Amino acid sequence: MSGGVVTILPEMPSLSRLYLTAAAAAAKNRMLGGHQPGQPAELPQASHEVHSVLADVARLTEYQHLLGGSARDVMPAGFIHTLAFPVAMSLMVREDFPLPLLGMIHLQNRIEQFEPILYAQPLAIRAWATELTGHRAGTQVDVVVEVRADDGGTRPRSEGNGSCLWRGISTYLAKGIFLPGLDKSIEARPAPDFAAPDPTALWRLGPDVGRSYAAVSGDFNPIHLSALSAKVLGMRRSIAHGMYLASRVLTEVGSPEPDAFSADISFEAPVFLPATLALRIGDGPAVDGGSSRSEYEGWNPRTGRRHFSGSVSPL
Amino acid sequence: MAEADHVLPGGSTDRPEANQVPTEPSRPAVLPRKAVVVGGNRIPFARSGGSYAHSSNQDMLTAALDGLVARFGLADQRIGEVAAGAVLKHSRDFNLTREAVLGSALSPETPAYDLQQACATGLETVLGLANKIKLGQIESGIAGGVDSASDAPIAVSEGLRAALLDLSRAKTLRQKLAAVAKIRPKDLAPDAPSTSEPRTGLSMGEHQAQTTAQWKIGREEQDRLALASHRNLAAAYDRGFFDDLMTPYRGLTRDANLRADTSMEKLAKLSPVFGKNFGSEATMTAGNSTPLTDGASTVLLGSEEWARSQDLPLLAEIVDGEAAAVDFVHGKDGLLMAPAFAVPRLLARNSLTLADFDFFEIHEAFAGTVLSTLAAWEDEEFGRSRLGLDGALGTIDRRKLNVNGSSLAAGHPFAATGGRIVASLAKLLHETGTVGGRPARGLISICAAGGQGVVAILEAR
Repeated sequence: MSGGVVTILPEMPSLSRLYLTAAAAAAKNRMLGGHQPGQPAELPQASHEVHSVLADVARLTEYQHLLGGSARDVMPAGFIHTLAFPVAMSLMVREDFPLPLLGMIHLQNRIEQFEPILYAQPLAIRAWATELTGHRAGTQVDVVVEVRADDGGTRPRSEGNGSCLWRGISTYLAKGIFLPGLDKSIEARPAPDFAAPDPTALWRLGPDVGRSYAAVSGDFNPIHLSALSAKVLGMRRSIAHGMYLASRVLTEVGSPEPDAFSADISFEAPVFLPATLALRIGDGPAVDGGSSRSEYEGWNPRTGRRHFSGSVSPL
Repeated sequence: MAEADHVLPGGSTDRPEANQVPTEPSRPAVLPRKAVVVGGNRIPFARSGGSYAHSSNQDMLTAALDGLVARFGLADQRIGEVAAGAVLKHSRDFNLTREAVLGSALSPETPAYDLQQACATGLETVLGLANKIKLGQIESGIAGGVDSASDAPIAVSEGLRAALLDLSRAKTLRQKLAAVAKIRPKDLAPDAPSTSEPRTGLSMGEHQAQTTAQWKIGREEQDRLALASHRNLAAAYDRGFFDDLMTPYRGLTRDANLRADTSMEKLAKLSPVFGKNFGSEATMTAGNSTPLTDGASTVLLGSEEWARSQDLPLLAEIVDGEAAAVDFVHGKDGLLMAPAFAVPRLLARNSLTLADFDFFEIHEAFAGTVLSTLAAWEDEEFGRSRLGLDGALGTIDRRKLNVNGSSLAAGHPFAATGGRIVASLAKLLHETGTVGGRPARGLISICAAGGQGVVAILEAR
C-alpha cells in the first residue's frame, strides 16, 4: 500500500473531463514551452481513492463480448482495469504530477488478481504513482491501482473493508520528457532477438477496434480513435489500445481466468490499425497439478516484428 | 368444431395405426450397466427481454456449466462428453457446446456435440449420453440446453440471401450487377424466427388451442393447473429445494416468471390469446401458456463406478427413454400430443403402469397440453383404437404431478427445460428414497415442435 496522503474522491471521475483537463494542460505547456524548469522531478505523495464503485452490467456484457469472452458474472481482470482507470487518470492529471498525460505510451502492465470479483460487488479503488525513473526515450512511471471490497462496514473508510482483491501496475513512458535529476542515459536495450514461432492464432483487427474498445473501456484517448485524431498527436495511424491486446490475450489464455493469477504483458511495438497479428500461446508444466503457467507473444506476420509478449501464472 | 370433430381420437383414417403399443416388449433382458444422475445446475430463467436480454446462448450455457463445474469440483477434469443444444441458434454457434466447454474450467480435452430436437433437446441430450454411459463408451457426461428468445438470430430474407450468394460467386462486373439487380426492396426486411410450424403456418399456441378444444379442456381447469405450477414452484424455492440446483446469474436468483401471489381470480381476468376463432369458448391465456423465456440448464451424468470413484452423489438412475411423433400435418393428432403415444410404449417396454409412478413431470408447454395428454390417457376409445390397449391407459394422481412447479411458472427456454426437469426430478427421487420397498420412480414427458415428444423413466438411488 502507498504512503502519502489519501484523497477520497466523492465519485468516480469523468474520463472525458479528465481528458479535457489533460488537453488544457498540454496546451498550456506548449505555450509556456514545455515542462516548467525548477519543478522538482518528484511524484505527488498522494493516493486517490473512490468508494462504492459499482460496475455497469450493460457495459460489462459489451466488454466481455468484444474481448471474445462469455458474459459471466465474474468480471474479467482486464475489465477491472477499465473500471479503475479514471481513478488512475485523476492522479495523472494533477497539477503536481510531473509528466503530461497526453501522448504517454503504455510500456508494461502487470495484473495480480487474488480472488474472482462479481460485478455486483461494491469496490473501493485506490491509485497512486511510484517509480519515476529515466528511460532512454524519456521518463517512465508506474501507476499502481488496488481494488478492495467496499461493503460499507465499520472500519475507517480510507482503509476499505477488505484485503486487496486485484492489483494493477501500469508502466507508462512520457516520450521526450527528461526531468532534471533523473538519469536519462539508460542503456538502450538491444531489441530482443525474435524468431517468429508457429502461430496458434491469427487476429484480424479492423480499423474500428480502437473505437470499439474505447466504447467499452471509456478510454477515448485520441491516438486510438481514428487515423486523423492519432495524427494530431504525432502517430502515423491510430493504434490499438495496449489493454485491448492484453485483455483479449488474457481471454484466450485463461478461459476462464483462474481464481487467483498474475498476468504480465510488455508492449514492444505499437499495433497500427487495421492490423493482422499472429499469436502464439504456449503452456508450461502444470503447477501443483493445477493450472499451468502460460506464455504468449504477438507479432506482425508480415514483418516478423514482435508487438508484445507476456505470461499468465496461477497465484 | 365440426371440422375438428372428425380428427378426434379414434377418428376414421386409412392409415395403419403405427403409434400403437407393441404387444411384445422388446427390451433386452440384460443391459450392460447403469447411468445415474449425479446432479444438475441451471441459471434462473428470465422472461424474454429481461435480465438476460443481452446474454447470448453461449453466455448462458457457460454460466450454467460454470456453476456445475464449481459444485462438483470438475475443474480441469476431462468429462467423457458434453452434449447440449439450443432451438433458436445462430449459424455462427455451430459448435455452441464445444465453445462453451472451451470457455469453461473443464479440461479443453473434453469433447462436445450439439443436438437439436426442439423442446425435447434437453431430455434427448440426457438420454443420448446415458445410453453411451450404459454401453461403456463414456464414464461421465454433461447434458444440457439453452435458449434465448431475447437474443434470437435474425436472418436476412431469402431473396437477399440468394442474391448475396450469387454476388459472391459472380466473377465479372456484369454478373455482379445482375446479382445486385435481383435484390428487391422487400428483400431488405429481416427474417426473425417464429414459433410457427413450418408446414402449417400455425403457431404452437394455435395448434394447442385446437387440441385443447378437441379434448374439451375448460378454462378453469387450465387456470387451476397454472396456479398449482406457481404455488408449487414458490413453495420449492421457499424450502430451499433449488439451492443446490441453481446458480444466480445477471442479478436473478429466482425464475423471473414466477408469480407466487397469483390466484384463480387473477388468472381468470386474463384475455384469451390463442384460439380466438373459438370466440367465447377460447380458453388459452398468457396465464395458462408459457411465456418466451431465456435460460440454460446442465445435468451431470455418470456410471455408478465413476460417480463413486469421484465421491459424488448418485441421485437417480436413467432407466429408459422413448420418442414418438404424430401426424399433425394431416390433423390426425394435435401438434403436441406425441407424448400420449410415447409414454404407453415406454411403460409397456418396462412392464409398468401409470400407477407404478410416484412423480410425474409433464412439461407445461401450455396447461392445455398437459390436460389434453391426461385426457387422452383416460379415454377408453383412445386407448383401444389409437394405443391398441384393452381400454384407457390410466389416470394419474394429480398430487404427484409437477410437484415442484413446471414450465408455466418457471418459464420455458426451449432446450433448457429437459435439464431443468431431469435435475429437479432426480433430486426429488433421491430425497424420497423408497416407496413401498422399491425405489421411488418418476416419469418425464416433454412435447416438442414438429409433432414430436420424448419421455423417460428415472428411479431413485
